[in-house]
Amino acid sequence: MEEVINELMGTIMSNQLNIPALQPVLDSVSQLPVVGLLISFILWKPVFALLICPGLSTVGILLLFFPWVERKLCGRIQWRVGPREIVPWLGGLIQLLADTLRFLFQEVIVHKDAHRPYFLQFAFLSFIAALLPLLFLNAGNVIAIETPYAIQAMLALVCLFPFFILGLGWASNSRFAYIGTVREAFMYFAYEISFIIAVIAMVVLYGTSNPLEMADKPWGLILNPIAAFTFFVGAAMATSRMPFEIAEADQEVAAGPHVEYSGIAFGLIYVMCYEKAYILCGLMTVLFLGGGSGPDIPGITPLLGNDLMGIVWFLIKTIIVLTTLFVLRTIYPRYRLDQGLNIGWGAMITLSLIALALSIVLVQGGIVL
Amino acid sequence: MKKVTVPEQSTVEKAVRHAAAIGVAVKESVYPLTATVQYPRQRKKMPDNFRGYILFDPEKCINCWECAFICPANAIRMKEAPNKKYYPTIDYGRCIFCHFCIDSCSGGALRATKIHDVAYKDMDEMLTLTEEMIEPPEIIREDKKLVEYQIDEKDLRLKKTREEDNLIVEKAPPPVEIQMVSQCIDRASCIGCHVCEHVCESGAISSSIANGVMRMKIDTDTCTGCGLCVKECSMQILTLVRK
Repeated sequence: MEEVINELMGTIMSNQLNIPALQPVLDSVSQLPVVGLLISFILWKPVFALLICPGLSTVGILLLFFPWVERKLCGRIQWRVGPREIVPWLGGLIQLLADTLRFLFQEVIVHKDAHRPYFLQFAFLSFIAALLPLLFLNAGNVIAIETPYAIQAMLALVCLFPFFILGLGWASNSRFAYIGTVREAFMYFAYEISFIIAVIAMVVLYGTSNPLEMADKPWGLILNPIAAFTFFVGAAMATSRMPFEIAEADQEVAAGPHVEYSGIAFGLIYVMCYEKAYILCGLMTVLFLGGGSGPDIPGITPLLGNDLMGIVWFLIKTIIVLTTLFVLRTIYPRYRLDQGLNIGWGAMITLSLIALALSIVLVQGGIVL
Repeated sequence: MKKVTVPEQSTVEKAVRHAAAIGVAVKESVYPLTATVQYPRQRKKMPDNFRGYILFDPEKCINCWECAFICPANAIRMKEAPNKKYYPTIDYGRCIFCHFCIDSCSGGALRATKIHDVAYKDMDEMLTLTEEMIEPPEIIREDKKLVEYQIDEKDLRLKKTREEDNLIVEKAPPPVEIQMVSQCIDRASCIGCHVCEHVCESGAISSSIANGVMRMKIDTDTCTGCGLCVKECSMQILTLVRK
């Protein structure tokens, strides 16, 4: 028994997050009986990845503030004010907190025609499905499950989202949800193939699908900008952002698959879209922007240590990509379904195949090692 | 029928336009031109000739009933006062704020204010009696800033100043005079009756005979735009236009 515990402790202690600035504090805390164990458990890299970054806490904070950032930024660009009335001196910063409270206390209405068990289950299951890819997302060198197939695993889990959205629409059993669901299904097939090919192009280019090894290579955005562009447009399609907000088109089908939801179930679906966007932008950072790699900043890097700096760089890059994705809605109007399909099956697939060919040429030509 | 088609654009042109759109978005996110006036806290600066709530001064009223006659919405009714004079009452449920009554008031008893935010509990209360029109209505002022729209070159900007706008207009700006001139709209129909020439007081209209054809001429510089010729023209081919 003791051997097992010792072995376990050895594993935990050997893979700790290294923070030079906090080391004296951590050393003194680790002498305490239970708290020390807990702290070292949390600072164990896989658990840290799950609980703090890029996992639960980061997702929570981003979900709490990113809808606000999006609304405020889009408001500025469109000459509006955005949310303001809740805590005006902070510019309505805690708007989503207020919304969440309202969602929590609102009745979840299950209408008569809905498929009750599935209607309720899919709302919560879809949130879990959107969380799963975080297991393979790395922030710097912090990752929950380190495998050489992390990118593929993430891709497979990312491709699971639309099934749950189809489930939502099917269980809702209403006409708007039905139209929205059919649109979602059409769009799913339109972007999925080119999206996957764009990722494969990067895997071919790097010669590895381990995100930790990708960080040391030059930026994918510079090596293969076509793949980056295809991935970005694919991400916009996958998250139903504005130019491709075909399935959820508010003015046409009243939020599509989510039309029948209310209360906390709707709240979960509402933030799930942002969660999806966060994961895809994280993947974009890993694939095209060098993940957690970044230049050393004198004075800060020695203090925070390489592990934490990786996380900081990862977050900065991800937030920049996220903001770019959100700002798209102020620039482009919504495409029709047929235009969306045309872009997906035509331009996107062509671009992704060109990107793949470019990767192969770069690798075969020996330009990239 | 004209069919509308998508304009032809080359890929480079499209890319330039996309880049321009993104550039505008970036510029606006850094330095936005917010057009919102946050009303109760900020108040837009209205011009002095703003058509708002109407005030009444019984001292100047000469009982001519002109306001009641001209009111196109029939909002003004005259009511007998204890001094046996008739004074106007305005039903704000009907008033369309055209301010014809103010323009027609020969004694200057009615005057405009910039007040536009008066609330009533029911329709009956909207019938404003003469004694309620003498003093401005009680409104709650929450505004801290005065907002003024300014157009510089091509963009609209908001100029915000920390001052309170006086909603009561002390002296109404004089009405803008529009210079008009008489113009013939159908020369071919002119019968050469010389009525316009005779009726014109400023001598702006002259006639000449060339090649056996009578030609009337209106001198736009001396024409005062009085409209007499327009009224008298037997063929009704004269009209007043802006100078």
